[in-house]
Amino acid sequence: MSEATEKHAPVGSLSFEDALRELETIVDRLDRGEIALAQSIEAYERGTALRQHCERKLDEARLRVERISRGPDGVETAPLDEDEG
Amino acid sequence: MSLRFYTHPIALKHDPGPGHPEAPIRMQMILRAVDDAHDLDIVRQEAPEARRDDLVRVHSAAHVGNVLDQVPRSGLMPIDADTWLNPFTGEAALRSAGAVAAAVDAVVGGPDRRAFVAMRPPGHHAEPGVAMGFCFFNNIAVGAARALEVHGLARVAILDFDVHHGNGTEAIFDSEPRVLYASIHQAPLFPGTGREGDTGVGNVFNTPVRGGTDGPAWRRALEDRILPAIDAFAPDLIMLSAGFDAHAADPLANVRLTEADFGWVTERMVELAERHSNGRIVSTLEGGYDPDALARSVVCHLRALGATT
Repeated sequence: MSEATEKHAPVGSLSFEDALRELETIVDRLDRGEIALAQSIEAYERGTALRQHCERKLDEARLRVERISRGPDGVETAPLDEDEG
Repeated sequence: MSLRFYTHPIALKHDPGPGHPEAPIRMQMILRAVDDAHDLDIVRQEAPEARRDDLVRVHSAAHVGNVLDQVPRSGLMPIDADTWLNPFTGEAALRSAGAVAAAVDAVVGGPDRRAFVAMRPPGHHAEPGVAMGFCFFNNIAVGAARALEVHGLARVAILDFDVHHGNGTEAIFDSEPRVLYASIHQAPLFPGTGREGDTGVGNVFNTPVRGGTDGPAWRRALEDRILPAIDAFAPDLIMLSAGFDAHAADPLANVRLTEADFGWVTERMVELAERHSNGRIVSTLEGGYDPDALARSVVCHLRALGATT
């Protein structure tokens, strides 16, 4: 009936970038009214799972940066920004 | 106070097909719960078919013709993925809209001051030229337009507490200053409309809430913006798009209300109606897709409307 009912990859298997891209697509389609009433809750719940997955990935990245900055030398290493892009 | 309760057996026969959430069981459960609630003081009224002149105040003549022309002789006919007709849908849609018009006549004319329309299909997604979201004719808009044009009321306030935004009702009245349209709804969700910044001609008050919103937060959202707006508007008649799909048990949304929250908002509307509208309220069923929660919520709503002995 609608794309919202199609099979998707398990959320846990997605990279941050792929999860964010799919989340943005879902929010955009909900905002445009492109998803049927009876399916929109499935899209919303998929979007919620994607958002939580993205937040987990960000938290993991923050923890990694903290570990580096508290390394054995006690010296601060590269801030998060330098690894981006 | 007795309450006029409009319904018709055709509401049990409109059926969008197996597995569809807007199913006849919704009406069966409501009627059973109302029968079992012996404290309710209701006067049953047969829902009449809408007259063509009532429909074309808010819909194009082409839309009215298209809906009725698409009624199948047998089987099912889809308009979109959500919105399906069976052979009884035409009459059910006409009686859903006609019941709200009749309820307006009764409540404006008195002596009864409250009415509830227990009919399906619902109406608030139906736009002037589009059937969608389980809706064919915009039942509440048909009633509100009749209140303005036939009864000459100066101001009609519509509160839509269905969990989905009433895009059709807003589209019909967003440039009509005699109508205030207020909606509290989950966003993002179908149909994607209802942004807070969409204010019509200063007569539209949209309050989107996030999935997971609970009763206390939902009540505060109404108290912050919508209740003061209706109070300031001083309506001659209050109409309610009474959808009960913001209930925590509902399968189509994630707002977490209990039936007591629907009773609470109804009591607030009764207070405003007593202050401004000679107590007059016409309420009509929209969504609500957990049949058991829906039936309990409707009974709470009717009690709060004052339909008790």
